[in-house]
Amino acid sequence: EEPVEDENYEYGKGSFTEHACRYCGVQNPACVVRCNVPSCRKWFCNSRGNTSGSHIVNHLVRAKHKEVCLHKDSPLGETILECYNCGCRNVFLLGFISAKTESVVVLLCREPCLSVNALKDMNWDLSQWCPLIDDRCFLQWLVKIPSEQEQLRARQISAQQINKVEELWKTNPDASLEDLEKPGVDDEPQPVALKYEDAYQYQNVFAPLIKLEADYDKTMKESQSKDNVTIRWDIGLNKKRIAYFVFPKEDNELRLVPGDELRLRYSGDATHPAWQSVGHVIKLTAQEEVALELRASQGVPVDVNHGFSVDFVWKSTSFDRMQGAMKTFAVDETSVSGYIYHHLLGHEVEGQVVRNTLPRRFGAPGLPELNASQVFAVKSVLQKPISLIQGPPGTGKTVTSAAIVYHMAKQGQGQVLVCAPSNVAVDQLAEKISATGLKVVRLCAKSREAVISPVEHLTLHYQVRHLDTSEKSELHKLQQLKDEQGELSSSDEKKYKALKRATEREISQSADVICCTCVGAGDPRLSNFRFRQVLIDESTQATEPECLIPLVLGVKQVVLVGDHCQLGPVIMCKKAARAGLAQSLFERLVLLGVKPFRLQVQYRMHPCLSEFPSNSFYEGTLQNGVTINERQSTGIDFPWPVPNRPMFFYVQMGQEEISASGTSYLNRTEAANVEKIVTTFLRSGVIPSQIGVITPYEGQRAYIVNYMSRNGALRQQLYKEIEVASVDSFQGREKDYIILSCVRSNEHQGIGFLNDPRRLNVALTRARYGIVMLGNPKVLSKQPLWNSLLTHYKENECLVEGPLNNLKQSMVQFQKPKKIYN
Amino acid sequence: DEDVQVRQKVVEVDPQEEADFDKELRALMQESLDSRKLELRGRPALNMTIPMNVFEGSKDHHGRVVEGESGDETMDEEGSGGNKVCVKVLVKKGNKQQTKQMYIPQDCSLVQSTKQKEAAELEE
Ligand SMILES: [Zn+2]
Ligand SMILES: [Zn+2]
Ligand SMILES: [Zn+2]
Repeated sequence: EEPVEDENYEYGKGSFTEHACRYCGVQNPACVVRCNVPSCRKWFCNSRGNTSGSHIVNHLVRAKHKEVCLHKDSPLGETILECYNCGCRNVFLLGFISAKTESVVVLLCREPCLSVNALKDMNWDLSQWCPLIDDRCFLQWLVKIPSEQEQLRARQISAQQINKVEELWKTNPDASLEDLEKPGVDDEPQPVALKYEDAYQYQNVFAPLIKLEADYDKTMKESQSKDNVTIRWDIGLNKKRIAYFVFPKEDNELRLVPGDELRLRYSGDATHPAWQSVGHVIKLTAQEEVALELRASQGVPVDVNHGFSVDFVWKSTSFDRMQGAMKTFAVDETSVSGYIYHHLLGHEVEGQVVRNTLPRRFGAPGLPELNASQVFAVKSVLQKPISLIQGPPGTGKTVTSAAIVYHMAKQGQGQVLVCAPSNVAVDQLAEKISATGLKVVRLCAKSREAVISPVEHLTLHYQVRHLDTSEKSELHKLQQLKDEQGELSSSDEKKYKALKRATEREISQSADVICCTCVGAGDPRLSNFRFRQVLIDESTQATEPECLIPLVLGVKQVVLVGDHCQLGPVIMCKKAARAGLAQSLFERLVLLGVKPFRLQVQYRMHPCLSEFPSNSFYEGTLQNGVTINERQSTGIDFPWPVPNRPMFFYVQMGQEEISASGTSYLNRTEAANVEKIVTTFLRSGVIPSQIGVITPYEGQRAYIVNYMSRNGALRQQLYKEIEVASVDSFQGREKDYIILSCVRSNEHQGIGFLNDPRRLNVALTRARYGIVMLGNPKVLSKQPLWNSLLTHYKENECLVEGPLNNLKQSMVQFQKPKKIYN
Repeated sequence: DEDVQVRQKVVEVDPQEEADFDKELRALMQESLDSRKLELRGRPALNMTIPMNVFEGSKDHHGRVVEGESGDETMDEEGSGGNKVCVKVLVKKGNKQQTKQMYIPQDCSLVQSTKQKEAAELEE
């Protein structure tokens, strides 16, 4: 199996240089000296940091070491400090003397050389012996003190930590400061903080959380092997083998995404030898079918269809890149500007204005006109080194982001990097930015190159294949040969790779904007790129370390776009989530007092549908950019209880059940009513792609899909085309009509997934024309937010029960909401 | 091109820590001195002649005052105006003598005395 290039790449640029101060990390050669004790040989700087003596003096005193050597790039070069006369190397005895008449100085030891009278007669002035260590610090003109900036950016080590680590070095000379803080195996991890002393402390907090999440992800995915899988074989346009099969999933379990790597196995039979191959998922159909493009083309048992096994091939790449970014953030001073460094860590920094000539108009060619709050956001962020844009549902986040990127690119500060955690969001943004006329390159993970993309013409791999110049004909020839034969001779393969890499670089370098996922920004193909300006969309759905990946490529100006009132990043490991890994950088910056620019006009929802979300999640600030008339379902005959109010809550008393897998829930009566509502919509002239069914439980999702196709009153195909999915997978998207099945209906248990206000916000804000909710008010009303939602529906005479063709207002009693304790 | 103003809390060194550290440092100094006194009873041989090449052309550097190096690298804690004097540092690499140039602050006691001597010599 051919390894992906990525695997040999080491993340975390600017790794700790050997001569970095072992206490604080300062690595300026003029500021450090090496302890010359053979068993030690550690480097230390001459800054005091938070202690009374400088770091080197601290070390020498604590460790009782007495000899040092200067750095080879220091003014004196690699020099062991010693007495010019007797060679004594004890720095506590050394000092400089100068010649009487010349500007010549030497080091001389205090005992005995300084007291040799004969020296006086030899043109040396002994009256002004200048000790090497003065005021608990090396002479500053010999070993410089790091600048204030360097010191602020270094690790803020305390005297206690110094004592501890020196103690540790006595038994383990290679121990690092991190070893001091490592929690035991069963300890709860250290929780995230609002502010951090320095990037090392930041790394100390986040690295274990990412490790926990990675371990959890690995265990979970690798345990997902399925046997007795039935395969349908096909061949792709690129002549590669594609295996289609069904890979069922449950709540909180493996969610396959395009680009995932799976291994397909066949144990062999009388006529077939045992066989296996890995491949990448290139597509997932609505029917839960997975399309796997195989790496191997030879020896595939295509005449067999049954008895295959599928394993997940776990990759650590995304986690490696997060860890690498945190390391780079700490050790590489050029990774982000000083302002951004201190700001991200929550240090108080004097405000900084980015001096740029502002454009006369803030819209961009190829984009719709901007509204007032969008113009204000664009104008403001162009002048700030760090800014947040909050885009509530349907407020034109993508257009605003594209306009910002357009103006940044026109400022001539080099290429702009545009990221988002999800591929879908990156594609959308790339498309909009490209519409402004900028040259855009969409960088995809190698594993996703076969995945169909709406912006294929912008992708790097497409552009490499279609770069139509004669110099590239050699690459084209080799590419053709590779496509036809499946592989190349090793010398041709080498040539092919080199040519491809050069072409990739050339195309990427000539772009105005590079678009990729946050994790994609850690791609080795971007390792030599620097981006001063970075925009991250959907940043509230990324973990902090994920957000850091695109930032450590030299950022000086960053715009985070998102909405912390919608769903945050998905963290699978409960321990890591409890410790705060699910809090995005955007959210922490809000808590630190950065005020987001909020886009205020929504263009998605019928004004009746936006009212409750605006009041409950956005302090009533959401204005409607669409009128009731523009959202009237003309010609659609649907039994809305209140005409002109395309919404209702359909009271359901059916019981919830545990799904067959035992890990999820379903609700049969709700499912049956979902089918009736869908059928009514379809009969009234709504087409399947306009409808979305949302339910928080995988058990119910599968049950509804199954139920509709079996019991639907209309053609089966119509129901198959209707998207039924979780709240989470509808985030960032919209449908004309939304049907929400709440499922949970029990006396004593909670309402599970529905408890998160952000999830409710997302569910309520997907529909453009109308929404129908199904659930049990008795159960839901216990939760304060649901209670006020139900009250809102009731007051608007939209809380109903009875058959769909004869809906009546429901008199069901609500429960008193429980007090909120946070 | 970057100018960051970080409002940093003033670091207060724990006086107890400072006192303990001082004590240890003094002890180490004293111990170093004492050990040398015990080790070396006799006078060490003198090997302190200034090689001739140091004098050649040394007038060029003689007490030359340079402006403080620009920007980030200068750290003048005492705020001594930043004027520096170029001196030659004489070191031994094995048995070879070498000189290296270095800048030291003008008000350093080392150069003060040289300058006084020079002035005195000039008067004579
Ligand atoms: Zn040492
Ligand atoms: Zn240090
Ligand atoms: Zn000596």
